[in-house]
Amino acid sequence: MSDSAVIVDRVSKKFRMYKERNQSLKAAIMRGKKSIAEDFWAVQDVSFEVPRGATFGLIGRNGSGKSTLLKCLARILHPDRGSITMNGKAASLLEVGSGFHPELSGRENVFLNGSILGLSKKEVASRFDEIVEFSGVGKFIDQPVKNYSSGMYVRLGFSVAIHVQPDILVVDEVLAVGDGAFKKKSQNKFVEFTKSGRTVILVTHSLAQVREMCNQVAWLDQGRLAAVGDADEVTQKYQAHLDAAGS
Amino acid sequence: MAYLKELLASRELLANLTMREVSGKYRRTVLGQLWSLINPIVLMLVYTVVFSFIFRARPAEGDPSGLNLYPLWLMCGLLPWLYFTRVVNGGLTSIVSNANLIKKVYFPRMHLPLSVALSTGVTWAMELGVLALALTIFGGMPLPFLPLLILWMVLLALFASGLAMMLAILNVHFRDTQHFVALILQMWMYLTPIIYPISLVREGAEQYGMWIIDVYRLNPMERFVEVFRNILYDNRLPAWDDALWCVGWAGVIFGLGYMIFQRNEKRLAELL
Ligand SMILES: Nc1ncnc2c1ncn2[C@@H]1O[C@H](COP(=O)(O)OP(=O)(O)OP(=O)(O)O)[C@@H](O)[C@H]1O
Ligand SMILES: [Mg+2]
Repeated sequence: MSDSAVIVDRVSKKFRMYKERNQSLKAAIMRGKKSIAEDFWAVQDVSFEVPRGATFGLIGRNGSGKSTLLKCLARILHPDRGSITMNGKAASLLEVGSGFHPELSGRENVFLNGSILGLSKKEVASRFDEIVEFSGVGKFIDQPVKNYSSGMYVRLGFSVAIHVQPDILVVDEVLAVGDGAFKKKSQNKFVEFTKSGRTVILVTHSLAQVREMCNQVAWLDQGRLAAVGDADEVTQKYQAHLDAAGS
Repeated sequence: MAYLKELLASRELLANLTMREVSGKYRRTVLGQLWSLINPIVLMLVYTVVFSFIFRARPAEGDPSGLNLYPLWLMCGLLPWLYFTRVVNGGLTSIVSNANLIKKVYFPRMHLPLSVALSTGVTWAMELGVLALALTIFGGMPLPFLPLLILWMVLLALFASGLAMMLAILNVHFRDTQHFVALILQMWMYLTPIIYPISLVREGAEQYGMWIIDVYRLNPMERFVEVFRNILYDNRLPAWDDALWCVGWAGVIFGLGYMIFQRNEKRLAELL
């Protein structure tokens, strides 16, 4: 048994780019048998291992394939090549409002989301107060989530995901929306989380946050792995690249 | 096999999604769940006026129940049909309308069409309950047939959800599917002996050629409607061939739907 929580082995993911994406029968017939599509490789031949108990950062420019790779880790997308091994139960929190139903109340959404993440009703009920307490949405818990602010949305989603106590937590840029207090709170939670041998993989554009939180970092550039390793080293290289690109 | 295991392991999610459908449907309506009874009752009144009084459709007397009431006879066939169309229409759009969920979290996607079949089943069971009460009041004896009724509800649910799963995948590729299917279902209803008795078709076939009735009976819903009427209206066991056809259709269509859905579900998130 290796000590890796996640093994990403030569993963590639392609999307089909349609010249005109028209999902109607007429368009399909007009195009004929061959549809006008080009393959676009959003992630190409990426390999790395995430040790158990680590906080692993994923950085890179806009459109470099971070979210795509994270979605592969979360099993929402399936890699066209390569394989991903997850040793343990995984939960993911991708962008704002992961799988909340806007018409349902916060309370109902907590239960629905909990069961999507694999908890039984009883388990959610026993953690419910903690979840609400951590999210800080307070009396709004019985309001439909469509009336939440985007910060509240994220806080509740994050709170559910972290209280599911997965072995591996996959997070995409969600902390960016929370206020300073919530960021502090969730960073502490992450520390507590990884201390108990659990693993966090997160995408963020804040290099300060990466340096502060992550042990290891992978830098994606146009779908390819540009560098992977110690957080300080990789962020330095990345910073240099950003400075060069920005000037 | 692995997929089946995963489905079973997450059955609590299925229950939750079903509850969401049941309680979410009539949220913020004054009449709430009553709406699900109003719709069939209005249809019953309309069809009774048009087809019993104006066109004088005369179904045979229930044998051995002795019932002879067009509205009750109609409902014994109409309720299964309504269930079928609701599951096909709802299940087929379930993937597209839950796009935000599918793109954000992983769970076995089959729970979406299945939860439509289950939540619609809850409504259907209530409707059948009211119908069974009415049948009993007018002299029928549907109660001893309850186990058989439940078995046939399950068979129809399998048949409908199998079809819904295939069409749900097609609908992700071509959004025309949902409009096309709505149209087909309307025609399909008139090709099934729901508002008129099959004896009318037999008379026609005797005149123009017996092949008509053979082709007509290839329609799976014809067999299902026949069996539901046998159970509820006539209060007798269904004929062997009808029963076997229903089991066969349910098994084949659900099996196909399951396979097609499972093969395609991995790519749903990127296609939406
Ligand atoms: N479903 C899709 N169909 C086609 N192309 C897609 C799809 N999803 C992502 N892409 C493309 O893949 C590339 C990588 O996108 P991705 O969302 O992974 O970037 P990112 O690194 O997360 O960027 P950001 O920092 O802006 O969040 C982009 O060029 C995007 O257009
Ligand atoms: Mg992204």
